[in-house]
Amino acid sequence: MPTVVLMDSSLSMTRPVSVEGSEEFQRKNLAVHGLTMLFEHMATNYRMEFTSLIAFSSLWELMVPFTRDYNTLQEALNNLEDYDKTCLEAALQGVSNVVQQEWGTACPCQVVLVTDGALGIGRGSLRHSLQTVKQRVEDKKFPLPFPFPSKFYVMCIANAEELQATDGMDNLEQLVNLNDGEGQIYTMEGPLCLKSVQSMFGKLIDQAYSPFHAVLRCGNLTSDVQVFPRPEPVIIDEEVDPLPKTVQTDLEIVGFIEIGDISSPPVLSRHLVLPIAVNKEGDEMGTGTSDETEEETSTNQMAGKSPNFCVLLHGSLKVEGMVALVQLGPDWFGMLYSQADSKKKSNLMMSLFEFGSEPLPWLGRISQLGPASDAAENPYGEDDSKSPFPIQPKHKRSYAQNVTVWIKASGLQTDVQKILRNARKLPEKTQTFYKELNRLRKAALAFGFWELLKNMAELLERECTLLPDSAHPDAAFQLSHAAQQLKLASSGDLKYAGFEHNITPMLTDFSGGGGGTERI
Amino acid sequence: MRVFSVSHKTAFVVDHCPYMAESSRQLIECDMLTKSRSQGVIPLAPVSKSLWTCAIECSMEYCRILYDIYPTKKLVNYIVSDSEVHILNSWKQQDQSTHELMAALAAVGPPNPRQDPECCSVLHGLVAAVESLCKITEYQHESRTALMDTADRVANRGRIICLTNAKSDTHVRMLEDCVLETIQEQNKLAAGSDRLMPIQQCELVLVHIYPQGDDTLVSDRQKKELSSVLSSEVHSVRAGRYLACKLNVLVQQHFDLASTTITNIPMKEEQHANTSANYDVELLHHRDAHMEFIKSGDLHMAGSTSRDSGLKETVTLKWCTPRTNSVELHYCTGAYRISPVDVNSRPSSCLTNFLLNGRSVLLEQPRKSGSKVISHMLSSHGGEIFLHVLNSTRSTLEDPPSISEGCGGRVTDYRITDFGEFMRENRLTPFPDSMVDAAGRAPVERAKSQLERHTRYWPMIISQTTIFNMQAVVPLANLIVKDTLTDEDVLTCQKTVYNLVDMERKSDPLPISTVGSRGKGPKRDEQYRIMWNELETLVKTHVGTSERHQRVLECISACRSKPPEEEERKKRGRKREDKEDKTEKNGKDTEEKGWTTDSERLKGVMEREKDEQSECEIIKDSPDSPEPLNKKPRLATEEQQPPEKSKGPVSLLTLWTNRITQANSRKHQEFAGRLSSVNNKAELYQHLKEENGMDVHENGKTTR
Repeated sequence: MPTVVLMDSSLSMTRPVSVEGSEEFQRKNLAVHGLTMLFEHMATNYRMEFTSLIAFSSLWELMVPFTRDYNTLQEALNNLEDYDKTCLEAALQGVSNVVQQEWGTACPCQVVLVTDGALGIGRGSLRHSLQTVKQRVEDKKFPLPFPFPSKFYVMCIANAEELQATDGMDNLEQLVNLNDGEGQIYTMEGPLCLKSVQSMFGKLIDQAYSPFHAVLRCGNLTSDVQVFPRPEPVIIDEEVDPLPKTVQTDLEIVGFIEIGDISSPPVLSRHLVLPIAVNKEGDEMGTGTSDETEEETSTNQMAGKSPNFCVLLHGSLKVEGMVALVQLGPDWFGMLYSQADSKKKSNLMMSLFEFGSEPLPWLGRISQLGPASDAAENPYGEDDSKSPFPIQPKHKRSYAQNVTVWIKASGLQTDVQKILRNARKLPEKTQTFYKELNRLRKAALAFGFWELLKNMAELLERECTLLPDSAHPDAAFQLSHAAQQLKLASSGDLKYAGFEHNITPMLTDFSGGGGGTERI
Repeated sequence: MRVFSVSHKTAFVVDHCPYMAESSRQLIECDMLTKSRSQGVIPLAPVSKSLWTCAIECSMEYCRILYDIYPTKKLVNYIVSDSEVHILNSWKQQDQSTHELMAALAAVGPPNPRQDPECCSVLHGLVAAVESLCKITEYQHESRTALMDTADRVANRGRIICLTNAKSDTHVRMLEDCVLETIQEQNKLAAGSDRLMPIQQCELVLVHIYPQGDDTLVSDRQKKELSSVLSSEVHSVRAGRYLACKLNVLVQQHFDLASTTITNIPMKEEQHANTSANYDVELLHHRDAHMEFIKSGDLHMAGSTSRDSGLKETVTLKWCTPRTNSVELHYCTGAYRISPVDVNSRPSSCLTNFLLNGRSVLLEQPRKSGSKVISHMLSSHGGEIFLHVLNSTRSTLEDPPSISEGCGGRVTDYRITDFGEFMRENRLTPFPDSMVDAAGRAPVERAKSQLERHTRYWPMIISQTTIFNMQAVVPLANLIVKDTLTDEDVLTCQKTVYNLVDMERKSDPLPISTVGSRGKGPKRDEQYRIMWNELETLVKTHVGTSERHQRVLECISACRSKPPEEEERKKRGRKREDKEDKTEKNGKDTEEKGWTTDSERLKGVMEREKDEQSECEIIKDSPDSPEPLNKKPRLATEEQQPPEKSKGPVSLLTLWTNRITQANSRKHQEFAGRLSSVNNKAELYQHLKEENGMDVHENGKTTR
């Protein structure tokens, strides 16, 4: 989940904060202090996160495009200049554009707005924007809700009382509501000082940037892992089942499936599964990326040398071309697999399936998947040539069966021509002729299209008269038999017009040896 | 879409009154004579469908698309109305198929034009539809049962699609009022019943069908709220293809569908087999498959075009030459069932058959310029075709640290192949719903417990294990993890153990890893001790499973039991090894460098084993046997070694021998005895003189 930090650089941010007996701070200094804390946290515990920095006043500017280089972000933050008045709407539009350009509209993002809560006056102020939000034309819509899934966090360098005194708080709440309620407003508690800004950003970190640690289990083999980005709770059907579902911290492997069988399944999200070493104090030692202090590196090397289940699992999944089915919670599953990026690096990844007992139709209900060794006969065959997947649905779809649709005249004409073509090749094509004839008959009966049956009967009778002299005598018999049967069906007489009834070929015997009178 | 939205229940009400037998006046030429045959033959008159036939085939098409895309949870109740009501199916999932409906329709037959129009009305059907909407579906029931005290969260909504020929706008009003009244009545009734649910929301879609060429007597009307429960809309449509088009639009609206046209499909021409023309095929699917286009606002950029009187839009995606990619795991954010618009047209069936045969097609967004963006994939799974949405934007997980940089990444001797084998053994397979085992566990729970059993003792790296590197242990290792053992299985395990005993007696080498340990590694008997310990560890973890598992452990304990004296002797052996270890460190570097390839390494191992074998024999010699005079010849080779005392010219043989001896001496450790020897003679078994020599009897003779 990439993060956009939207930093208020308007003049009001330079308002001094009165702190007793110490040097004077501006609100901006407090904001920078808080963000520094956030960046430091991310650099150590959340370092795969892409973050960008946008500064805004009446205009907005992308100070740092999405990066994992927190030094660059910090530097840009330290060098922010002060500008004029606050104009949030344009800035939010800017956020929307920047995110969509980089990540499209499917990728969830977190937007962290840092402001003093003085949101401008007159045109371009948030108040003005919100008042006119319903009067927008199509191409000048208010940027919220963002077109991508998002969390909108507002960090106010002000306390709640101060904001409630103006309509600042109301406006911000309205803003969060506009984003479908996805987000939260944080205010400072107590006096505006370094300590309270720390505690405010601390809350944000706990809420949005706490790393997700879990235990990956395969029977008795286990590994401590960090799952990145952390899996977010999902809500399935807010009407029937309004409680959000969360991924549990015990990821239990259920069994294994071939990649070909799982067959590019749709997933809610993808996550890296990074093994972590847990030391005695219970802190994790990092996930093995570079740029660490020397001390960390040495402990990391130690961790690198002790066997880890993740590495074993990854290696075997990669070699065998398989995925591991993993249970994420009650009725929630995902898969673990090896993912290689272009640079020959590969990684253990986890994808989350949609919540539910049957996320993939071609696997069936997951609870009904059991060990292949329990089956009476090896479902994969003795030489691995077979597979029990995909599961066939009970009914075939329309395109997999020979359905009759006559909505377009051509559909009907094709079916009639097919019968006539086969009629001319009787008796060789007797089977196909009757098959096609019965198909037409069934549809005509269902559609109440008796006129067609009569018409078809006439066509067959005429075919009969047009038969060349060289034709097999059986052809004439079959044609007039079929025509007669169609006519009977078109009368609606239940004896002949039954839907499941089929016209069967007339039993004739021209073999000469059948025991009847001999014909020439 | 919420499960119990208006789309959960659709009641079709089709008018079966005499006036529906009227012709639609859309003529279809069936008699398409080929030129050669047309001479002298008068073509038959074209046929025309009745209003009834038009209504039926269009509603069937609606159901076909619906069932293709939503095989479950979107239900249709089909009602035909004339002087009475014919309810053709129920809300049951098993009744939901076009085949069932067609059979029922055939039984109803076309409307009888001679029936008394006075007693016929579509009203009967509408009343029945409302009654039907109050009936609980199996899904609603299931949900209500599952939710227990919050069962009221399960909503009851539905839609009535009425295909009729109305007289006038007033007639339409009358129909609407009737539905509204019936809902109010039925809701009262339903409130007091367990099997019925009051209707919370109902959408009435009235479709007035009139023959081509006539003027319509009913005007179109947008959706309007008639009450808090009922909304109604009126569509006035000419029979024939206009009606078909209207219902196609409706099914898309009602079920959140969207259309994609696959363009540039190469297809062989029937006439000219070696040429191919490009065709287009239009597919319907859930509109979420277009989410990326809709959200980013470039639905039009993506090649969307309006067609057929601007009623609907379709997104055009280009066929990419298919490549086999069944073993490729695409990052796919959604998969949606499809239904072709023209199901039995040749291009459609060519495409669907191609896919049903197991091939996948990647689809590309047509762009005026720039790079090609593959955004979708068509693929079939078990006879169902899905449109997969592929992620085409930048990944937030790019450039991750490689697994080799993380924890455990530096370890190189993981049992990758063995774990692969383990994964194959633990592959999953579907079981029928009734399959629960004696303990009442679902198959997935059995799978988990199998994994637990199989991993009770599972060393992750090769150098941590001996038994899993031994072919001889395989039968036992495979059996012991099983939940139940047969007597035959126990026998196989016992045989495996006897076989190991035999190996030990013969002093067969064991694949003990020397990785991590300096030098040659442990001695032969120590190796066997390690092996037996490991085997015991493995079996012990399963001993609680059954009495038969217990027997396997007993067998091992019995077979490996040794008198304590031998243990003591082993300790001594170990001490000696420790010493060896220290002295051998010097030789190690050369060893490692020299044995780079496997074959070389193997050779090395074999050489070493030869050494060890001779060593073993020495150890096994008993002290009460006569002085080992036969050792003399062995030492003889060493006796001729002293090069330092060479006088005069050195012969080529001596030079060569010295060289070889020197090289060899670096590879093996000097015998302790020789090191402390006087004149190349050392007294063997000095320590035994202080000890009781009885144990040697057993070691030296009986076991041999």
